[in-house]
Amino acid sequence: MPNCTDDMPGHASELFCAIIAPQSAATRQNWSGEADMRIRLNRLSGAAAGAAAIAVFGLTVIQTTGQAVRTPRTADGKPNLNGIWQVTNTANWDLLAHTVRPAVAQPGVYANHSVLAAPVVALGAAGLVPPGPGVVEGNEIPYKPEAAARKRDNAEHWLDRDPEVRCYMPGIPRAMYMPYPFQITQGTNKIQMVFAFANASRTIYIGAAPDPPADKWMGHSVGRWEGNTLVVDVTDLNDRSWLSRSGDFHSDALHLVERFTPITPDALRYEVTVEDPNVFTRPWKMNMVLYRQLEDNAALIDYRCIELVEETFLGHLRKDQLVKHWEGDTIILDVTRRVQPGDKRYER
Amino acid sequence: MRARARFLTLLGALTAATISALALQDVAVAGQADRQRTAAAPAPRPAGQAAAARPAAKVPRTPWGAPDLQGLWNTNTLVPLERSREFGTRAFMTQEEHAKALADLQLRNQRPGRDSRTVAGQSAVGTEKDVARAYNEFWFGDKPTKLSMRTSMITDPADGRIPPYTPEAARRIADKREFLAALLQGTSGGRPGPISPRRADPSPDYNLDRINRSDNTEDRGGPERCFGSELPVTMGTGTFGGVMQIVQAPDSVSIYYDVGQGSGFAWVIPITNRPHLPKNIQLYRGDAIGRWEGGTLVVDVTNFSDETNFHGSRENLHLIQRFRRVDANTLSVEFTAEDPTTWTRPWTAIQELEKADEKTTLVLEGGCHEGNYGLLGMMLNTRAAEKAFAEGKGPDPATQDNATGGGAEN
Repeated sequence: MPNCTDDMPGHASELFCAIIAPQSAATRQNWSGEADMRIRLNRLSGAAAGAAAIAVFGLTVIQTTGQAVRTPRTADGKPNLNGIWQVTNTANWDLLAHTVRPAVAQPGVYANHSVLAAPVVALGAAGLVPPGPGVVEGNEIPYKPEAAARKRDNAEHWLDRDPEVRCYMPGIPRAMYMPYPFQITQGTNKIQMVFAFANASRTIYIGAAPDPPADKWMGHSVGRWEGNTLVVDVTDLNDRSWLSRSGDFHSDALHLVERFTPITPDALRYEVTVEDPNVFTRPWKMNMVLYRQLEDNAALIDYRCIELVEETFLGHLRKDQLVKHWEGDTIILDVTRRVQPGDKRYER
Repeated sequence: MRARARFLTLLGALTAATISALALQDVAVAGQADRQRTAAAPAPRPAGQAAAARPAAKVPRTPWGAPDLQGLWNTNTLVPLERSREFGTRAFMTQEEHAKALADLQLRNQRPGRDSRTVAGQSAVGTEKDVARAYNEFWFGDKPTKLSMRTSMITDPADGRIPPYTPEAARRIADKREFLAALLQGTSGGRPGPISPRRADPSPDYNLDRINRSDNTEDRGGPERCFGSELPVTMGTGTFGGVMQIVQAPDSVSIYYDVGQGSGFAWVIPITNRPHLPKNIQLYRGDAIGRWEGGTLVVDVTNFSDETNFHGSRENLHLIQRFRRVDANTLSVEFTAEDPTTWTRPWTAIQELEKADEKTTLVLEGGCHEGNYGLLGMMLNTRAAEKAFAEGKGPDPATQDNATGGGAEN
């Protein structure tokens, strides 16, 4: 069986590429005789339709590079989003431009140079926020005044309030830019995304969608294709997910419009417009890129944290607590971290 | 999985005589359609056989030509995993047996269920057993309304039952059972005797059961810690009204199981011939690798962890699942389970799932862990009880049964 490469001339081969592109070489081998025959049938019977389809879908011109790049296609001519994807940015730490800083800080010698504080002081360089240029267009999140105050307060009490710290589902859009992979399965009337972190997932209905049953952590997503772009309208999110570790939050009036656009066979531009009149003065937008995992052994491995956060949040309720007051020449890390009134779990 | 086991235990308690004897069955839509067509015939063809005979041309295909597994799949009927011994090696009921099973099912649906607050005919109000009932009937979903002709999900071995444990596994399981009994010793739900000296011992296995101790979060069962349902999922009504959503692409099949009272989970099966992950990678739901064999998606799952327990099999479980679209309305889901450290031979079970209406069937995200105040409550409550006992204001928590509550009539 030929490979799907640019040196295959003619429309039929292009359609052929469109059909098999989503599959790895390994998959093609598995698809045995039955699949091979079907592909050939499609090439023949679909020749005329194929030519028309290719005229519309065959090439995507990439404005940013000026190069013509072949967009992998599904059998029905849509851009092929299948695969394992991940951002390389630092949006999960902070959506805005930021330099390196302690994940938990306390005042140091200089007012504008804080130092690592408990409970991350022992982590050293592993306890820092990685720097990044930010993902927000205009580098400003238009919080209402009272919401801006709450964001600052959230940032101060990050460890008590951030759902990520508790291994909760990240919500949308945060799930898209957690620093862990997720897998897209592009079906015929649904697109399923499964995230390594906390086994979160979302279903994007294409076209017809049921009525959303209730507010959910991962919301209710309805998508449509606009040319090469998958446009997804997200509603029915709860008010408990956050947007970053920096205290960025939203209400249950959050409404998102996401746009997924292939820019190379292995990169998707991801734009999301954020609208929430309870929290923001106007809609605002994030813009970033999702990259395909190309490793031969790429795999979506569950980032399973449920049992691993029990010590953080329930360790004080053990009959014999594991956290001791350390002594001797061992580092003494006496962490006092009071949970503020209102932030205790059963109060939320 | 354990939630289902608990449910089936409850179910057994409610209707032990009728259910276990009559082996209420999984739906087999192919079989039902078949029965309708052959209504005049004295004995309908067994569902599985009818499904196998169906011409392949009727199987919906994806645009890229694969058998289309997509949609929402469920069953609102009961099939016991294991066959009642009275059926012997007979895999399907007779029409008379089927009619009686249906009648008994309807009778069962009229019973009060778990909302009943009596135990052994006595009012249980205010007793430990009453308090320990975590869930009432509301949580168990709609009662089944259909039956298939199958006498068990298990098709191999021929007696429809899980093969015997290896001596090693039998010893392992007996050890755990004795540990569970020791923690209940001297309580209202346990054998008579003083508080066991084993009360503070570590569990002999990674505990997933409902044990009578809350010293640590690790003492609580997997469902209470929101571990989520395990593989393989069998879509019986005992999964609290399960729905399975499949989205399919050429390089992956993505399943969302909305099962087990919010214990649902996402499971991506990559279609690939990469090798399994290195042996040291042990995962709660294993490492799945799918391939197509003709019209069947065959999924090989290894790399399980000791935090799972499928009928006694833990990290050495090897699952082979087969998904096959039988016709427009039926998906056949089969698994073969093997673990030479647990069973004397591999065994195989099958379910035929019915396509659900996407307009009226809601698929909900789990959210068990996100809303898990129960685990916090069990820990808080136990520490409070210990404090009260130390102050002479209450009984010794070690003498209380906080594990066996459940069945209303047991």
